[in-house]
Amino acid sequence: MPLPLRNALLAFAITVAIIGTVIYAINYLDRQRLAELTAIQTQLATDTLSLETQFSLLENAPCEDLTAGTELSQEVSALGDRLAGAESRLGSKNAQVIDLKKQYTLLQIRDYLLTQQLTKTCHLTPTVALYFYSNVPGTCENCERASYSLSYLHQTYPSLRVYSFDYDLDLGALKTLIAVEKVQQKFPAFVINGKRSYGFTTLEDFETRFPKALFATSTASSTASKATTTRTTK
Amino acid sequence: MHLEVLAYPFIFLGLYFEVFMLLTFLSAPARARRLRPATDKAPKVAIIVPCWNEESTIGGTVESLLNLEYPKSQLRLILVNDGSTDNTKTVMESYRSNPQITVIHKENGGKHTAINAGIEIASDCEFVGCLDADSFVAPDALREMMAAFEDPQVAASTPAMSVFEPKNLLERMQNAEYIFGIALRHALSAVNGIYVTPGPFSLYRRSVIEKVGGFRHAHQAEDMEMALRMQRAGYEIENAPRARVYTKVPRHVTKLIKQRTRWTTGFLRNVMGDYRDLVANPSYGVLGLLVLPLGFVAVIGGVGLFILALALLGGDLIHTILVTSGVPLTYILMPRFSLEWLYAPVSFITFLSIVVMIISTSFILMGQRVSNTKTDLTMSIIGYALLYGLIAPFWLVRALTDVATGTKRAWR
Repeated sequence: MPLPLRNALLAFAITVAIIGTVIYAINYLDRQRLAELTAIQTQLATDTLSLETQFSLLENAPCEDLTAGTELSQEVSALGDRLAGAESRLGSKNAQVIDLKKQYTLLQIRDYLLTQQLTKTCHLTPTVALYFYSNVPGTCENCERASYSLSYLHQTYPSLRVYSFDYDLDLGALKTLIAVEKVQQKFPAFVINGKRSYGFTTLEDFETRFPKALFATSTASSTASKATTTRTTK
Repeated sequence: MHLEVLAYPFIFLGLYFEVFMLLTFLSAPARARRLRPATDKAPKVAIIVPCWNEESTIGGTVESLLNLEYPKSQLRLILVNDGSTDNTKTVMESYRSNPQITVIHKENGGKHTAINAGIEIASDCEFVGCLDADSFVAPDALREMMAAFEDPQVAASTPAMSVFEPKNLLERMQNAEYIFGIALRHALSAVNGIYVTPGPFSLYRRSVIEKVGGFRHAHQAEDMEMALRMQRAGYEIENAPRARVYTKVPRHVTKLIKQRTRWTTGFLRNVMGDYRDLVANPSYGVLGLLVLPLGFVAVIGGVGLFILALALLGGDLIHTILVTSGVPLTYILMPRFSLEWLYAPVSFITFLSIVVMIISTSFILMGQRVSNTKTDLTMSIIGYALLYGLIAPFWLVRALTDVATGTKRAWR
């Protein structure tokens, strides 16, 4: 066989092999990511249990000792990031992603309840925002903008506590929360300090829905790492 | 369908070509060429230096030719002043007393006319070479080149070009590219796939030039046209990987784009015009089936990928502006580390681009090794990897536009 023809055929085989290897490597990395999800799941289960325990402990603790225990750990926040990454990579319809979102949602609801408990018993006045979004195509044009603005507000005003929920997630506790808060199926939906509002136009307009006291608490962005319960999973 | 998919065929073909070249580089014929020693045979040779306004470099060019390790009685230097308007004429005249050197002054008629004038005078020479007046040869370059002419079917031989004293990043980037070219040209010579005999020191068998005819204007790509004409006539074009030639390259982006636009339009016009019959023609082997078609693909792909990248980046930019509107820039631009980055998906294109880049870097290092070019390539490779892909689309787009609109541009 002439050298050019031999090399042409061999080059084709090697090129196909390289591309096959690349495809295999990408799939392998994806599988590794899926394995990561199992680790996240375990971590979430532990954190949920930890929060339950904190909840019980703090019920009888003096108010001055409470503030340190009210925030989820940084690790959980990191888990949220990874969960968001997994969702964007594997899709919001992936069964494992949905399971994780459910667990994370439960974790957020528990933290929200704990915050409410502290607010009542210790007469604290945190600004709490529940944010409901939808991943159903065409149902929420402005959810991404709303998520980004909430992230900005949380980072700028660390006393703002944000809980993000996928409205369509099939989770009993979430449905109950939606019912209790009387959140309609209009997106994006917000419950800010108990007051419901819908839609997002501009950040300026959005800020008017928050109590003015919040904006007096602006701090440096160094507190960003404590963005504990802020999940903008959209 | 994601737009990224449009890039897949081009990346596949780019990878395929690199693998093909790598295999050819490692093949026995290429190895034999690398082992071929410089020859002691010294047939009569004339080196023609066509020159237009090269007062600052012509002296160095001539001196490097005078230092060639070749019997002086067998080496003629023909300096052709193609109507220069600067001090070139005076510099050339200073060499007239040297018996090896012939000086010709003529009206400006273009590079091809200057070379042809030199060939006409070199009627007593078996071989004629051409050296651009901004290039300098290594002392053993001619002996290395002559060794490639053992086979009577070989009509021309090409050298190993690199950049003369690269200083700024743009020159270093081109140095990496030229040395990449050394490896490619060397591999292509093993399968007779060379499609250009570059101005900096290509050597021709004079009898072949007499048969196929002298140099033509050929859309300002006379060296490419001559190579294609020789290929069409059934001759072979060789390469001497250790025949080192150093050439000056554009120091500024605008000049580089102008130069490369000329090269690319020359390629497109010649190959789409007079030499269309060579493309996809099995009679011309690797040249017809691979090199010329992929040359087109490289131009079209370069422009296509550039437009695709612009579209994707533009889309991302618009999306980001829409999402972040109203949020202060201090927050948007704040660098922040996210664990998510560690889990960022590695795309198919990213992976394959890395593979292509690794093979390209290997070629550059192999080119340096086979040519024994002494130069530090670290910054050159970095510059080549980072800059080339950003600048090349400009001359590709410009060349395509010029060809489509029939625009003709001046040489400089």
